[in-house]
Amino acid sequence: MHRVKVISGHLSSYPPQGGNRKCNINHCRARAAVSGPEDVVVVHGRRTAIGKAKRGLFKVWSFKPHSNSVVCANVSLSPRCLLTLTNITVCLTLAGNVLQPGAGAVMARIAHFLSEFPETVPVYTVNRQCSSGLQALFNIAGAIKSGSIDLGLACGVESMSLQEMGNPGDLSPRLVDFEKARACVVPMGITSENVAERFGISREKQDAFAVSSHQKADRAQRSGRFEAEIVPVVTRVTDAEGTESTVTVLKDEGVRPSTTLEGLGKLRAAFRADGSTTAGNSSQVSDGAAALLLGRRSAVEALGLPVLGVLRASAVVGVPPDMMGIGPAYAIPAALEQAGLIVADIDVFEINEAFASQAVYCVEKLGLPLDRVNPNGGAIALGHPLGCTGARMAVTLLHELQRMGRRGYGVVSMCIGTGMGAAAVFEYPGP
Amino acid sequence: QGAVCGSLRVFRSPARHGYAVEGSPFIPTRLACAASQYYGIAGSGTLLILEETELGIALVKSCEWSDGLFDVAWSETNENVLAAGGGDGSLQLWDSSSNHSAPLRVAREHTQEVYSVHWSQTRGENLLVSGSWDQTAKVWDPTLSKSLTTLKGHEGVIYSTVWSPHIPGCFASASGDGTLRVWDIKSAACRLAIPAHKSEILSCDWCKYDEHMVVTGAVDCSVCVWDLRNPRQPVCQPLVGHSYAIRRVKFSPFSRTVLASCSYDFSVRFWDYSSSQPLLETVEHHSEFVCGVDFSLHTPNQDQLLVLWTETLEPCTHRRRSTGKYKGWFNLQYQKLTLWTLKQHSPGVS
Repeated sequence: MHRVKVISGHLSSYPPQGGNRKCNINHCRARAAVSGPEDVVVVHGRRTAIGKAKRGLFKVWSFKPHSNSVVCANVSLSPRCLLTLTNITVCLTLAGNVLQPGAGAVMARIAHFLSEFPETVPVYTVNRQCSSGLQALFNIAGAIKSGSIDLGLACGVESMSLQEMGNPGDLSPRLVDFEKARACVVPMGITSENVAERFGISREKQDAFAVSSHQKADRAQRSGRFEAEIVPVVTRVTDAEGTESTVTVLKDEGVRPSTTLEGLGKLRAAFRADGSTTAGNSSQVSDGAAALLLGRRSAVEALGLPVLGVLRASAVVGVPPDMMGIGPAYAIPAALEQAGLIVADIDVFEINEAFASQAVYCVEKLGLPLDRVNPNGGAIALGHPLGCTGARMAVTLLHELQRMGRRGYGVVSMCIGTGMGAAAVFEYPGP
Repeated sequence: QGAVCGSLRVFRSPARHGYAVEGSPFIPTRLACAASQYYGIAGSGTLLILEETELGIALVKSCEWSDGLFDVAWSETNENVLAAGGGDGSLQLWDSSSNHSAPLRVAREHTQEVYSVHWSQTRGENLLVSGSWDQTAKVWDPTLSKSLTTLKGHEGVIYSTVWSPHIPGCFASASGDGTLRVWDIKSAACRLAIPAHKSEILSCDWCKYDEHMVVTGAVDCSVCVWDLRNPRQPVCQPLVGHSYAIRRVKFSPFSRTVLASCSYDFSVRFWDYSSSQPLLETVEHHSEFVCGVDFSLHTPNQDQLLVLWTETLEPCTHRRRSTGKYKGWFNLQYQKLTLWTLKQHSPGVS
């Protein structure tokens, strides 16, 4: 083994002088990088612009019974997707969905036909609250891993214009006897107050985080960063006089570049009189959809499709329900460990900004470099269409990694109502 | 197997790790890649003859060898002939135009891995030099019938042997003993030994415009340029930036002071050693050790905009006006060879 000795001598005898040690053979980067024909890869991902619920351009959907279908159809028909889908058979599609009755199971099938999928393609929906879009992706990945499908479309859809939040349905009266069970019905805003209070996340920190989210999103929007990922959606709006017109929705509606610390400082706490969570430092109520085409690497390569990203790890962990916002602080380490990576290896973190309180907590707890967290803004600026968010974040992340132009790793993570956190690690293999 | 990625062309060779890449001096689109199984640590080797086409990089011929291949050199007199050095201590002469699977000739004189092979560059001379882990360098006639001279002196394994493009009968060698040596084959003697780095030196190359200039790249992560008339110190501050050992260095064929280096840190860097800010560009498109790099002799793309891995909508931090530039051929471990052109960049395509 003379050669092993000589070559390892090249690598071990001189630690680099200063600078960041981008490639460290001593930890597991190399292990994480092992590529094989069984890898689950992302071929392509797109999303719609995110509209303001009830006030935005997507609100007119509420007049139509199957409005979500429209979004889903539009995402699926994005040019590249269409190109790939006409040539191959997608085995399964999933729609992450939270608020629609029965998680929108019927709606999803209708969306399929509006998207001109053949009837032979099956569909189902999944509801894991705010992580539903990511869970759809995990489920597709699992089906690919188990060998039951080769390719699948993971979608996330939500119309918060259409449904009200806050009705959990009929619950067992016994929930009052169990503390943890009782905590499951704590309103989300109160869970945010709990995180802020118990971990000392000040109002100033939360507001500053919210301002930076708007600024980053505005910068991304103005420099055209979202153009590659947003599919135009044509919809109809009715003005005050009742005249209908057709508009094309291209831009996220929630971004307010004029947001200032002073402005946010004047807002009243939304959930508790003495609280620190306001409408300004919480995520927005929105409509939107996103979709990613996933496949087994061998199948993807056989079809000559590109590889936008490789799913390296997926983790969901449980946390106390009354502090559900801390989920990412537990899910991210679990996913990184699975991938054999450390925080320093990750180039971009997309962490859902359900509330600034919990996002700030997770960033501080994990010691994440701020310049790598949500570089194009998050849910405070862009909006948080519940079932869509996970898929939307994965799309944004993969486009951001691609923009960096070199091999890199990214993490998508979010907290989940009733006390969980989900995280995924993606690798961008390089151009 | 080839694919176009914007201005980046990629060729993947499953289960082979690239060790060296050389552009043909005769055919502008032709290149050769010496590759090995299992990072060159065990298993067999393959010599790949590749052709750059509109659609990507196509395989012209692949020659199999029973041990890993670590370096390759094109003949300067015959467009089809090339020599490769292998892990079994052999040198092979291959004909890229023939249908035979066996080499034209095999020379087995070195007792350990042959890590470098180079074809002489000066007019009137047609010789080969090889450097081996047996600590010797050998000079050969172009048919590899028998070695003409064996040069001893290095006290460590030899990683690199390169003929001077100016001085007949003269080559430089880089060794694990931390010295750069310059040899005269007529007297079969070492003319100069420079303790160039305090670590193993893995590569060296001559400047194509100044017969006194040699560059070295070492395990200490630095690149140094030496004026052989003043070997006490390098001509400028060591070029630092790589975070792992430098695997290969090459001077540009078009510019006196521009050079390229590739490293175990997965990156390729371009330098102008005469500049106050010598690092011109860092290219990080490989996902494994980058072991080989070469400039194309045929494409001196003059005066073009150099835009790398950024899109036009970005703030202009990565945009740079570049003077006479080059085209790089890189090769790396982990089954991927990429051809990278600094010439054009199509925003949005990658």
